[in-house]
Amino acid sequence: MNNVADHVKDDARHDHRGAGAPGLDEDPLHAVVGTGKPPVIAPGHTFSTVTDKISAIVLTRKTSLGWYAGFGFSFLLTLMLFASVSYLFVKGIGIWGNNVPVGWAFEITNFVWWIGIGHAGTLISAILLLLKQTWRTSINRFAEAMTLFAVACAGLFPAIHTGRPWLDYWLLPYPNTMGVWPQFRSPIMWDVFAVSTYATVSALFWYIGLIPDLATLRDRSQSKTGSVLYGMLAMGWRGSAHHWHRYETAYLLLAGIATPLVVSVHTVVSLDFSIAILPGWHATIFPPYFVAGAIYSGFAMVLTLAIPIRAVYGLEDFITMRHLQNMAKVMLVTGLIVVYGYMIEAFMAWYSADKFEVFVPYNRMTGPYAPFYWLLLFCNAVVPQTLWFKRIRNSTIALFIIAIIVNIGMWLERFIIVVTSLHRDFMPSAWGRYAPTFWDWSTYVGTIGLFVALLFLFVRFLPMISIFEMRTILPEAKVDEDLRVI
Amino acid sequence: MSPYRETADVAIPELAGLQRRFLLIGAAGAVVSLLGAFLNLTQFLQSYLMAYMLCLGVTLGSLALGMVHQLSGGAWGVVLRRPIGAATRVLPVMTLLFLPIALGMHRLYSWTNADLIAHDELLQHKHLYLNTPFFLVRAAIYFLVWNTITYFLNAWSLEQDRNPDPRIARRMQHLSAGGLLGYGLMITFASFDWLMSLEPHWFSTMYGVLIMGGQGLSAMAFLIATVVWLSRRPPLDRIVATSHFHDLGNLMLAFVMLWAYFSFSQYLIIWAGNLPLEIGWYLHRSHTSWRLVAVGLIVFHFAVPFVLLLSRAVKREPSLIVKVAAWILIVRVVDLFWLIAPEFHQTGISVSWLDVVLPLTLGSIWLGCFVWQLRGRPILPVHDPEFEETLGPIIERGAPPRPSHG
Repeated sequence: MNNVADHVKDDARHDHRGAGAPGLDEDPLHAVVGTGKPPVIAPGHTFSTVTDKISAIVLTRKTSLGWYAGFGFSFLLTLMLFASVSYLFVKGIGIWGNNVPVGWAFEITNFVWWIGIGHAGTLISAILLLLKQTWRTSINRFAEAMTLFAVACAGLFPAIHTGRPWLDYWLLPYPNTMGVWPQFRSPIMWDVFAVSTYATVSALFWYIGLIPDLATLRDRSQSKTGSVLYGMLAMGWRGSAHHWHRYETAYLLLAGIATPLVVSVHTVVSLDFSIAILPGWHATIFPPYFVAGAIYSGFAMVLTLAIPIRAVYGLEDFITMRHLQNMAKVMLVTGLIVVYGYMIEAFMAWYSADKFEVFVPYNRMTGPYAPFYWLLLFCNAVVPQTLWFKRIRNSTIALFIIAIIVNIGMWLERFIIVVTSLHRDFMPSAWGRYAPTFWDWSTYVGTIGLFVALLFLFVRFLPMISIFEMRTILPEAKVDEDLRVI
Repeated sequence: MSPYRETADVAIPELAGLQRRFLLIGAAGAVVSLLGAFLNLTQFLQSYLMAYMLCLGVTLGSLALGMVHQLSGGAWGVVLRRPIGAATRVLPVMTLLFLPIALGMHRLYSWTNADLIAHDELLQHKHLYLNTPFFLVRAAIYFLVWNTITYFLNAWSLEQDRNPDPRIARRMQHLSAGGLLGYGLMITFASFDWLMSLEPHWFSTMYGVLIMGGQGLSAMAFLIATVVWLSRRPPLDRIVATSHFHDLGNLMLAFVMLWAYFSFSQYLIIWAGNLPLEIGWYLHRSHTSWRLVAVGLIVFHFAVPFVLLLSRAVKREPSLIVKVAAWILIVRVVDLFWLIAPEFHQTGISVSWLDVVLPLTLGSIWLGCFVWQLRGRPILPVHDPEFEETLGPIIERGAPPRPSHG
């Protein structure tokens, strides 16, 4: 076995120098030569360079001033979040702009925005794994981390918006002395299950995927504390064939469980709106349209994070233009589905001939929130069309700007859906306006701070790219068909 | 290149006889159906619409799958490319076969009735969209777009057979990207026009997506059945491997789940809302004896194929997966029947003999044309950019023996 492996290794190295050598068509380095696509990992890497490069960021690289500054600033924003939430608990949700008729505003907008962002991580780690898309390998780890932190930010909003968070356990169905049960027909109830399942599975998936790398860090750590801490987290991983076998089974099973969650979580979120009979919310297209929107915003966020991270940490070899281009294509496709949703929604509102339905798109286009509606169309429908051009997909700066615009657009989309549908519903005498207060903004910006602070910690203390999975896509890891016979 | 070429050019002798037989059955069916048209023209048109939407679904679904494959790549699509091409080239025939619907639209669509509009405010509002000339103009646009995409994709595919220039593949990719947009938009509005407007008051934003999912499923099932048939004869018997069926089975499973997801979401939202304008559509279909069909669809269109396709053994065994595929094509007809017929028989199930004869007739004519088109070109696209990578080794070595079913 060993001999064969060594032999293959030499062979592969040999071929590897002469790029485009025949006989290695399947490996990611060579497959691209003919098609003109950039590789998924830059040429020249071996098992040890990959391990060194990724683990050094955590173990040996000096923590830069930039890291302290970035973490410090985002931590300040996190403190602002704590302050805002504390004040909210003292005073109640009257400190927000919500009031009749707009009883739901920033908190639900932010909740949907954050939970949508999480979806890209799950899609990359679960669905692309099952579809055998090897390019996912270098981005799945931090995309999953992003998912986890985004879900944490999302989960915060429903928990605090009840106004009496110490009674949040009432959301769960349990036999109690009051004989009161949650309303099982309400999608808000389903949300509790959907989001808590999502958080649990995402955390498990991420952690289990980390175990072999945590063991690598344990073994390479120079400090006693490091090796003890990473050792505890690695849960006794020794890398035996037995361990790997168990690991592969567990990981595939979790991928199978996580796959339906990509669709189900945002479907339930969309039902929060569409089950209601409010014009603007009650549309049957909502489930697939929300799911597409979630993936759209999620990939925008992955790009927003990946582009600066790869530049700062010099990871261009691992997160190559191929990854950025593929993500841009996913954004283009999901963005077009979202635009399809806008179009069909507006057409059907008119076609329904119901005067309240007809009024919704009219009010969105010409009412008090019209500038935001047009801005949303500009961000989500117009700007991303530039991704049709290869030159744009090849430019990291352009991609970064587009990704940020899409993030803004997707936030605006949820704001428009929530607020414009509520503020003018059936009776003109009951119409009203909504404007966010300082506390609405400070809570929202605070969650961004929390998200970024957690990411800073993650990048500093855990391997942000899966070391062992990166090794599997090297040419060395490929076993030649003819030698496998032995 | 030459061993590939030789393999691809092998003629399949059974096809000629098959084409003749299908066309003969189709011709006989056409005579019987015409008789039905004289006896009861309205019923004829209703059954015709159902049969037509099934055949159109396979045609356009194949077109869409072909374009998705152009963009995504993958070994599953390389073996399907020629059956897909042949299926899309039936589109001109399908365009002609739309004529009975266009000519008989006054019997199918109540919104064409001026008396009804005069007494209905909602229909007056919709008249801007739902009126005869605009309906016909739209249909012309849909067919123009679909036929244009089909024409160029097939012409370039033929050109690619002669000329291995990679630029042709790139051109096809570019067209496919725009073509998918065109297909999606056109079929959405076509489904509103031809199916949803049967009940002109009802509306659902999901409807176009639901019909698209159904078309994808019909096409996938049909293509799997075709590939199984082809894989039993030279030259594909040495080429189509177990893993291809596995991938195709997974895709079919994905479409079964998509169909169920779209259908259930639409139902749940309308059921929970329970609004007068929306719920009527479901009341006809679930609170009369049509409920039997509705429940049947949940069990036989979703649950049974879903469970079967979860099994690895079923997906890897051609003789089993072809049965699932054939079953899905049958339940697709039932689904279309449930979408269309309750509109005309709102009190309960009513099946006419034309509901059986017309799908068989149109299906046979469609199959005859399909086989004719399939014969016209080599069975493998040897210059597909992925051909060498995915099928080359198999052709050189022969397919690994398929495990016998145990």
